[in-house]
Amino acid sequence: MLKLIARRLMLLIVILVAVSMLTFAIVNVLPGDVAVAILGETATPADVAALRTRLGLDQPLVQRYIVWMMAFVQGDFGTSLSFNQPVAPVLLGRLSNSIILAALVLIAVVPLSIGLGVVAAIYEGKAVDRIVSAASVVGYALPEFVIGLTLILLFSILYPILPGSSLIEPGASPLSRPSALVLPVVVLVIHQIAHLSQITRASTIKALGSHFVRTAVLKGLPRRRVIWRHAVPNAMPPVIAEIGMNFGYVLGGLVVVETLFSYSGIGQLMVMSVETRDIPTLQATVLLIAAAYGFGNLLADVATLYLNPRLRE
Amino acid sequence: MSAIAAIPDHPSATRRIFRRLPVGVWIYLFAVLLLVAAAPLLAPYSPTAFQPRASLKPPSATFFFGTDEFGRDVFSRVLWGARPTLVLALASAALGVALGTPTGLLAGYFRGKADEVIMRVMDVLMSFPALILAMFIVVMLGSNQIIVIVAIGVVFWPRSARLVRSVTQDLVRREFVEAAQARGESTFYILRRELLPNIMNIIVVDFSLRIASAVLLTASLSYLGIGVAPPTPAWGLMVRDGQQFLQLAPWLVIFPCLAIGVLSVATVLAGDKLRDFVSRSNVLSSA
Repeated sequence: MLKLIARRLMLLIVILVAVSMLTFAIVNVLPGDVAVAILGETATPADVAALRTRLGLDQPLVQRYIVWMMAFVQGDFGTSLSFNQPVAPVLLGRLSNSIILAALVLIAVVPLSIGLGVVAAIYEGKAVDRIVSAASVVGYALPEFVIGLTLILLFSILYPILPGSSLIEPGASPLSRPSALVLPVVVLVIHQIAHLSQITRASTIKALGSHFVRTAVLKGLPRRRVIWRHAVPNAMPPVIAEIGMNFGYVLGGLVVVETLFSYSGIGQLMVMSVETRDIPTLQATVLLIAAAYGFGNLLADVATLYLNPRLRE
Repeated sequence: MSAIAAIPDHPSATRRIFRRLPVGVWIYLFAVLLLVAAAPLLAPYSPTAFQPRASLKPPSATFFFGTDEFGRDVFSRVLWGARPTLVLALASAALGVALGTPTGLLAGYFRGKADEVIMRVMDVLMSFPALILAMFIVVMLGSNQIIVIVAIGVVFWPRSARLVRSVTQDLVRREFVEAAQARGESTFYILRRELLPNIMNIIVVDFSLRIASAVLLTASLSYLGIGVAPPTPAWGLMVRDGQQFLQLAPWLVIFPCLAIGVLSVATVLAGDKLRDFVSRSNVLSSA
């Protein structure tokens, strides 16, 4: 099992190196000069030349990539063009805010969607199942900002019980204002549950129809025990793999939700760096998000291995 | 799932799907086309003309969905917004499938080294969350509709390729492929005439599900202000601009949100229906 994990980790590193090249290349090789893109079409040639020197654009490409990558690995993410200070501290501060949000979402989503999915599977075709499935389609189909604005309209304008903005003072922990976290978390949770509960449902229905469940029933085990100890654990591997994949949707969803609620996380930083054409910040953010996503998938793979004794050998 | 059905039946795979589609899907497709064609005719006002005297009017008999801060009619803007949303969604889903299908076919057919190389490249593309990759590409290549289509197409590429590859891998071991190889057919012929028709049903379903997620992605991108410029009546952009008047004029946000919601729920449902239909029907070869 350790060997498998080590192989998977190597693969992740190879992929991340390729991802970093892509992130670097898309900025540096493709048509259009970054300096011109930052300054706009009206910039004077002298300004463009000055910025090119500042960004190191006059150096050869390969050398620039190596310098950038070495610095990145050592925690130097470059200098932000809009804040005029190193990217790393800003990014890491916001990263921890985003992690808090994502962790809360995960803590709520996993038990809720497994519970809903299993209940829907037990009552397959009955009213409960139909309601869960119909709600899932809606939750899955709607973009986060539509769900978010609906909740804001309901709970901070029509019945003002929750704040519609999650602005926090710089340096303060988001946990110091828990009420501001409720709506962003709920939006992401709704979107995630929709998808995960359906995967759980399908997988549980399959497990319930299997021979070992029939054996357990015929042995005279109580229904509750058959479901939770026999069927559900065997239905989990695809669900866990999906949770790993969903990590990416949560990260993508963070971009929208953080923008909607003005929550100072990594997603909002990405949108801000897009608006201000702050290329070094954008590059670092994208690379960090890709790394987090890759790591999430790796964790899901390891969990799947751990749960399936046959794959451990 | 019968093996007999795998005998290639060239001209009709896609045609059969369309001939036997459930009525609901037809009605939906028809409604969408009607909306796209008729939006400009139905819109009572110009989607971009300012009417300063009628700014921020609530919904009424004159302005069905109210007006925005410039006095533009929200109803007309929502109608006009349907066309760009649909064109973007259809084109990017088509591009994604068009890129992913040959890639997946090649990887699945050749196996071994070629497969390894192709799929690792796809893994790199897969290692960005969808929305973030699309955002990044649009920002770097330039903000216009074509680039948005390309960006979403690239996002779909590896996802489509993986699917096609997995189905192709199963088919390659079948006798009819071996027969074609023994006849000395070219690789292109085998891919195009033997394998492609057999996975057509999967591709059609994949395409319809991609449309649904493309609607979601384009809406989110335009909500973030990426890929669309302000006067355009894009739904996401309308929501973004209207958000500042949420207390004062909630209709600016409610109606575009409703439009996005109806379209995306409808596309998801149509895609699901089509998938159920294809996986149930045994007229089609099951790959």
